[in-house]
Amino acid sequence: MFKMLNPRRFYHAVGKQKFWEFIILAVFILFFYGPMLNMCMLAFANTYEVPAVLPQEWGLKWWKFVFEQDNLVSSIVQSFVVAIITTIASMLLCIPAAYSLARFKYPGRKVFMLSFLLTNAFPKLGIYTSIAILFYKYNLMGSLLGVVIIHMINSMMFMVWLPSSAFRSVHRQQEEAARDVGAGPIRTFFKVTLPMAMPGIAVATLYTFLGSMEEAQGTMLVGLARIKTMPVEMFGVIMDYPVQVGAVFAILLIIPAVVMIFAMRKYIGPEAIAGGFKMK
Amino acid sequence: MSKEKKRMAFGYALVMPAFLVVMLVVAWPIVTAVQKSFTDPETGGFTFDNYLYFFTDPNQLKNIFFTMFVCFATVAIAIVVAYLLALYLRFVKSPVARLIGNLYLIPRFVPSLVAVYAMITIIRDSGLINRISLLFGADVKLGMMYHASGMITMNLWFNIPFAALMITAGLGAIPDSIIEGARDVGATKWKTFTSMILPLSYKDVVVASTFVFMSNVGSFTTPYLMGGNAPKMLGIALFDQFNKYLRYERAAALSVIMFLICSVSAAVYIYTNLKEKDWEH
Repeated sequence: MFKMLNPRRFYHAVGKQKFWEFIILAVFILFFYGPMLNMCMLAFANTYEVPAVLPQEWGLKWWKFVFEQDNLVSSIVQSFVVAIITTIASMLLCIPAAYSLARFKYPGRKVFMLSFLLTNAFPKLGIYTSIAILFYKYNLMGSLLGVVIIHMINSMMFMVWLPSSAFRSVHRQQEEAARDVGAGPIRTFFKVTLPMAMPGIAVATLYTFLGSMEEAQGTMLVGLARIKTMPVEMFGVIMDYPVQVGAVFAILLIIPAVVMIFAMRKYIGPEAIAGGFKMK
Repeated sequence: MSKEKKRMAFGYALVMPAFLVVMLVVAWPIVTAVQKSFTDPETGGFTFDNYLYFFTDPNQLKNIFFTMFVCFATVAIAIVVAYLLALYLRFVKSPVARLIGNLYLIPRFVPSLVAVYAMITIIRDSGLINRISLLFGADVKLGMMYHASGMITMNLWFNIPFAALMITAGLGAIPDSIIEGARDVGATKWKTFTSMILPLSYKDVVVASTFVFMSNVGSFTTPYLMGGNAPKMLGIALFDQFNKYLRYERAAALSVIMFLICSVSAAVYIYTNLKEKDWEH
């Protein structure tokens, strides 16, 4: 077994292609997953003093600490409330627009499509600061609605472009076939078009929800101190608490993403995600 | 009303709510920001001073060049690595390729704050790499924190999977039959690549580069946690103008400058997309 640890022997034992694939996989995992695995370890370290690679003492001390902080727990609740409202509002607003851009022909379509790119081209902070001035005027600073609006504009481009490319990939003949056997337009939409465009819509929804869960900059600015979501709290945690608290909090922040990705795993693929970045 | 007109009106009705929201909470604030950027904070009159400041102040000029350097380095490295990764995922059918094909989609969904924090626990001078090096008797201090290399590393973490994903989607659309056809008539692997695969996928490369570039010009979380005091990324310089110095006019001017930097790449992006004929509809 141990002779496999010699790289040259390993190379000859498994063959050229497998050897290089193993190297690629190792580099890939170390770079993309190493940091997060290290963080998971830190979250369960009661003490972690400098020279040691592994913690001196394992335990749940910092988890207890986090859940004893009232403001940290309330920020978790607030994050979910904001994310759920943002996702629903964004779906109601954007999916009809996506369908319209995919299926109807009218002058100005390009302009509508491009207008959603605006949210990604202008620096976010520039938009936020100008919005803040408007929000002061209309008393939206520190309000739930204000924060939801900020979160929504972050993900509108995906929420329109992704479902739009998904709707376009549904063949018209399939819709026509449904109409031929007597289904009305609404029924056709819900029974044929929508299910077939579901991968694109699912990925867009996932983006919106997770984007809202991680938004910090705009929330800090517009939420004042009244609306504090998890990432906003975490910016404070990083500065003020030991590294383990940050690790615990980071794991809490990542749990929604893990759950959602697992629930939607059959929809997540390169094609579905890439659709959100093309104006076709 | 004719049936055609009715359909058009329905189309407009569906798109309008979302469009109006964008106009109200994105376009309108941008217009007011542009207006503010030309306003003199004292007199309220018209001025170019807010812009001149960023192009004459040596520190601000350094920030601009520094940001460009970090962005271009990120785009160049990310696109090359992502292209190789995408080629591997498209043409190698093995369990390892399939595993990577699933795993590389995940970083896209990891909250950026978490990812940056996790990377810091590895690369900071008392981080994991330093601790492992101590086991072997060396004291490796990477010095990547508060330095361009740390930020570029982090940007690569975010952008390689994204760029690879865009390019993989493009390569996936190239049918096997085309490639086999080229091979059948005697084209070498390299020839097949340069005359078939590259031309068919360059558009996805452009799209990926544009988005990588745009997302890094205004990035905030990474430079906020990993960046040094000078030179700064423009996202931080903007934050300082607004938050520390309360110079709203200068903040607005810097937003516009960053927007102009982004629009150069956005123009490339729109141009590549508009060339497509089916876009006319």
